[in-house]
Amino acid sequence: MRQAPRANGDRDGGPAAELAVQGPGPAAVTIAGLTAGGPALLVFVSEHCPTSALALRRLGPLCPAWARAGLTTIAIFEDPLDVAIRTARRLGWAGQVAGQDPPYPASRAYRLSTVPTAVLVGRGGLLAGRVAGWDQRALAALLGEAGTQLDTELAVPSAAGPLTKPGCSSKAALDPELAAAMSAPDGTDDLEEMFERGWTDGLPVIPPTAERVEAMLGGRDADESLGLVPPAMGEATLARVAACAVLAGCRPAYFPVVAAAARAALDPAFNLHGQAVTTQPAGQLIVVNGPVREEIGLNSGMGALGPGFRANLTIGRAVRLLVSLTGGAMPGAMDRATLGQMGKLGFCVAEDEEGSPWEPLHVERGFAAGQSVVTVIGSDAPQSISDHRSRTPEDLAYVLAWAAASAWSTNWWPLEEPSVFVICPEHAEMFRGAGWTKQRLRRFMFDAVHKPAGELRRGETTPAVHAAAPDAVVPKWAAPEAIVLLVAGGEAGRYSAVLGPCTGMGSQIVSREVESRA
Amino acid sequence: MPDYVSPFDERVRPAEPLAPRPADVAGQRVVLLDIRKNRGAEFLDRVETLLTAAGATTARVTKEIFSKPAALSLIDEIARGGGLVVEALAD
Repeated sequence: MRQAPRANGDRDGGPAAELAVQGPGPAAVTIAGLTAGGPALLVFVSEHCPTSALALRRLGPLCPAWARAGLTTIAIFEDPLDVAIRTARRLGWAGQVAGQDPPYPASRAYRLSTVPTAVLVGRGGLLAGRVAGWDQRALAALLGEAGTQLDTELAVPSAAGPLTKPGCSSKAALDPELAAAMSAPDGTDDLEEMFERGWTDGLPVIPPTAERVEAMLGGRDADESLGLVPPAMGEATLARVAACAVLAGCRPAYFPVVAAAARAALDPAFNLHGQAVTTQPAGQLIVVNGPVREEIGLNSGMGALGPGFRANLTIGRAVRLLVSLTGGAMPGAMDRATLGQMGKLGFCVAEDEEGSPWEPLHVERGFAAGQSVVTVIGSDAPQSISDHRSRTPEDLAYVLAWAAASAWSTNWWPLEEPSVFVICPEHAEMFRGAGWTKQRLRRFMFDAVHKPAGELRRGETTPAVHAAAPDAVVPKWAAPEAIVLLVAGGEAGRYSAVLGPCTGMGSQIVSREVESRA
Repeated sequence: MPDYVSPFDERVRPAEPLAPRPADVAGQRVVLLDIRKNRGAEFLDRVETLLTAAGATTARVTKEIFSKPAALSLIDEIARGGGLVVEALAD
């Protein structure tokens, strides 16, 4: 008859040492508490030890059945409690969890040399055996002992997989300096490296390895210059533009759009210099038109101004990284924005040309409908305009236009620079149904918003208002052309938006065609 | 360490040394640069009065717009004038 395997730990029957560990709850973890309802199985483990991971994976799923039979289980990590909880959850451990810090007093009290080590503490807090490393048969014997104390048969880990596996050295058995060195960060975290180099806008970035930048360039000339990026006048070589695109999380397919936006933003007529350093919250709105929208997955539908779409978010972010890193306009340094706005992380919008009743922005600006074009506009953050009640295009146009009356500042009339209205599909449909052209809507909105100069002389106002007679009528915009109309957004919901301008920049709207390799 | 491509222009530009400062403004030519910020001209008017009283001669120049760097022709004009510059920067 084959002899039943014995546990390979001691069975001296002496009292179990008290535990000095941190559990997740407010109550102290004690031997008395763990053995109040029957025996307890203490499983000493370490996050970095593969054999500990094996033990937690193999024993963890059995914990609930053992608990119902009266055996309490606890995994005691030689790691901080948060690491212990995260690791235990990841490995499917369903028993209790505790952590301990250097010098690992619980491991020392149990004279551990190896993790994992399973220690059975019987009724009355007496040691009933231990198993070091992974030893399936020895553990089965240990659980047999626990079952004997409970007068039942406990489930044991299956004989599948390795039956034995040596453990790792317990940190309690290591020289303290070595243990501390093992616990310290290893310094090879490349995401943290990016923060240390300052290659970030404050969010994690994709490290621009030579391989990734090469893939982004797609064979283009890395040394080709798109110009100097203000305010520090760093040279925007294609390699640096590609590095920013990698950092931002772009796919290589987005790069032609990023490069076109960079070319547009660096046109002196755009005055990126002024926008980059101003105390205003000025951001660079990027509008994309043409076939490239569909080719690279730009969103012009639901949530068109919000999160959720990689192409929109990363293209805008790449251009902003070019401004803040290559151009040196980091907030608090050369970027002197008093408050800033979230659009300065990046703001890329695609127009819903298919859902629009009007010619798209790039056609208005002289391009063919089949061309892919990027347009940059210096702008403030979007302000939502709700209108679910208008039943005539006149009422709706009035509401949209007057929502922008406080753009830039309440009494700053007229605005020379463009206000960008993003018209949602339901609003656009009302204008389509009434046969309104874009030009008619723009003219109506321009005519709708005007006030006598005398009502605008409070707080900040313009020299033109100061110079005008009190009853002279002043429009909100200097010309109808300062009203830019786009269509984008989800099919349901009557929320359009207006983005106010950055002023005093002499900034013009600039468009560039996206390079096509077809 | 992976081979990264830096987004920065790593070229180092040597700092330009400051021009020597005169001990007195009397007899100096002082260029007053108005960048077109709100009320900058008022500030320069007052400075001009004080400089003139102190024996300096003054010249006024103006940028096209405050939010753009000065045109190179304007910088040349200021440099050719020699002497000192006072710039009215922000409102």
